[in-house]
Amino acid sequence: MEAYYKEITDKIQKIAYKLLDEGKVDKIIGFGKGEFTDEVTPVFIVNKENVDKLLFSEKATPFLAKYLLNYKDEKVAITAKPCETRAINSYLSENLLQRENLIIIGINGCRGIEGNTACKECDVRNPVISDYTVGEELSDEEVSSMITNVYEDLENMNPEERNEYFQNEFERCTRCYACREACPVCYCEECFTDSNQPFWLDSSTQLKDTFTFHLMRSIHMAGRCINCGACEMACPENIDVRALSAKMYRAGEEIFDYKPGMDPEQKTLLAEYDVNDQEKGFLD
Amino acid sequence: MLKVMNEKELKQFIDKLNNDYKVAAPVKKQQGKQEILEYDYIEEFEEIHLEEQPDKSPKEFFLPQNEVLDPEAIAKSNPEENKTIIFGVRSCDIEALRVFDDVFLDDTYVDPYYEKRRDNTIIIGYSCPHREPTCFCDQLGISPHENKLADLYLYKFDDKYWIKSINEDSEKLIKDLADGDEDLFDEKLKNKKDNFGESDFKFNMETPIPEEKAFNAPIWDDIAEKCLGCGVCTYYCPTCFCFNFFFDEDDKENQKYRSWDSCMFSLFTKHASGHNPRETQGQRWRQRLMHKFSYHPQNYGGLSCVGCGRCVKKCPVTLDIREALKSTEEYLKDEGGAVVED
Repeated sequence: MEAYYKEITDKIQKIAYKLLDEGKVDKIIGFGKGEFTDEVTPVFIVNKENVDKLLFSEKATPFLAKYLLNYKDEKVAITAKPCETRAINSYLSENLLQRENLIIIGINGCRGIEGNTACKECDVRNPVISDYTVGEELSDEEVSSMITNVYEDLENMNPEERNEYFQNEFERCTRCYACREACPVCYCEECFTDSNQPFWLDSSTQLKDTFTFHLMRSIHMAGRCINCGACEMACPENIDVRALSAKMYRAGEEIFDYKPGMDPEQKTLLAEYDVNDQEKGFLD
Repeated sequence: MLKVMNEKELKQFIDKLNNDYKVAAPVKKQQGKQEILEYDYIEEFEEIHLEEQPDKSPKEFFLPQNEVLDPEAIAKSNPEENKTIIFGVRSCDIEALRVFDDVFLDDTYVDPYYEKRRDNTIIIGYSCPHREPTCFCDQLGISPHENKLADLYLYKFDDKYWIKSINEDSEKLIKDLADGDEDLFDEKLKNKKDNFGESDFKFNMETPIPEEKAFNAPIWDDIAEKCLGCGVCTYYCPTCFCFNFFFDEDDKENQKYRSWDSCMFSLFTKHASGHNPRETQGQRWRQRLMHKFSYHPQNYGGLSCVGCGRCVKKCPVTLDIREALKSTEEYLKDEGGAVVED
């Protein structure tokens, strides 16, 4: 393991050991290695003797923040990438979690995760909420120099080209819902696709049904998507799922100067109204 | 019947088959940023890639993810027309057809849609060139080297391809090729088997896993702790066959459809009343594991996991069925049962 990640890993293990030893938390949610594979996988540590299973590296592809919603009433600690700290802020702002039950070990200076294109666009590379941090912070200048516009080509396409692009992408969709399940902010108690009373959508993979699911989901993402790339990382068909929600993310930023999950007190974009809000695209 | 070919002759053989039949084989496809390997109909021999495990099994050739159920069309069709050959199928994926046959060609009900596709397909197996880190077929009593459920089996030793017929019907396909030396073949196959290596994961459980001991075991929530609840493991599984029906209008009329479903989804068991007998992901994982290692063996005799490892490879959080089996085994061992002692 590269020295940079080795140092972060050592620190995570030390903090985790201390938290379990002192009884501050019952469980640590972190990244670890599988028993029979080298892939990085989520691990749930309850015994301080097992903290050596924890690690962090550029291969830490899973997203952990959503697991917190399974432990609402337990005292847990989590190792969180900066994007995951934004998800945690969203949960706190919607009263889904209690801050006092939660210890956040934030990862400073995130260089991005292998294969995740969202990381190339990311301008929040230090945790926005944490109790402990590990790793070196990145300065604003360093962060700006790391940003590239992933969707420039897509933005420059005309509507017909873009339609063709999305048709080619989404015709591979198997409706496995990995994007939805991996998404840290897709946490409706019942997704419209899981309702049987009424029944909204057939379980088919005909393009009309696949598009209905993805377009409905992306509309629900407005003001919520933190542009973390969990959806594209989870997709087993390598579909550019993020293109849709990232558009919502950029629209929120461009029109309302709004970035979700930056503060636990922040209201979600659609929960707040200001008479001076631009109404771009509305009746014009 | 045993025949032997060099690569040029194999090409001629496949090209000839492709004239008489439709040949499907593992081909590379660009998927956005990544290249994947999946079964599709080929135009020419050069498209075929045999060396790595395909990302998907040929399951969709037998059970398409979506299909219109049209009893009239199926009654009229003739299986001898447009026969398909699926070439280069690995032993695990061939074994999966045994599971499908159990279910869809069951004595009590034969599924006409499956039956037609099955009758319409010739399988040419391919002896695995190497183990993938996620493979464990050898632990489930399946040989990665050959499988009797295929019609023909292809082996590659050095730069020669050997092909063996498994049933009489398929002999006619290879009768014109040059004869292979049986003793030499046996020696080469033995050598390959001796050097192939074994899975790190060891499966020592007695099957079917005893339902009465495992069903209420306090292990399932821990096994499923990191499960996201998506359907990836089931959709990429070569043996998962569960499906759903729905009616949908096409251009003309209302049609009955069948589409894949997944026991990992909450909707899978949700009743119209709103009650869900499998409320937690742990219960759903128990169903998945027990179906493969307890219920299917109870009903039909064989396991319904073939150890291909795709569920591990494709899972967004790498939830490893081998670790789940190990937990189950450890629990049952402590409870004094269902483990085969070494």
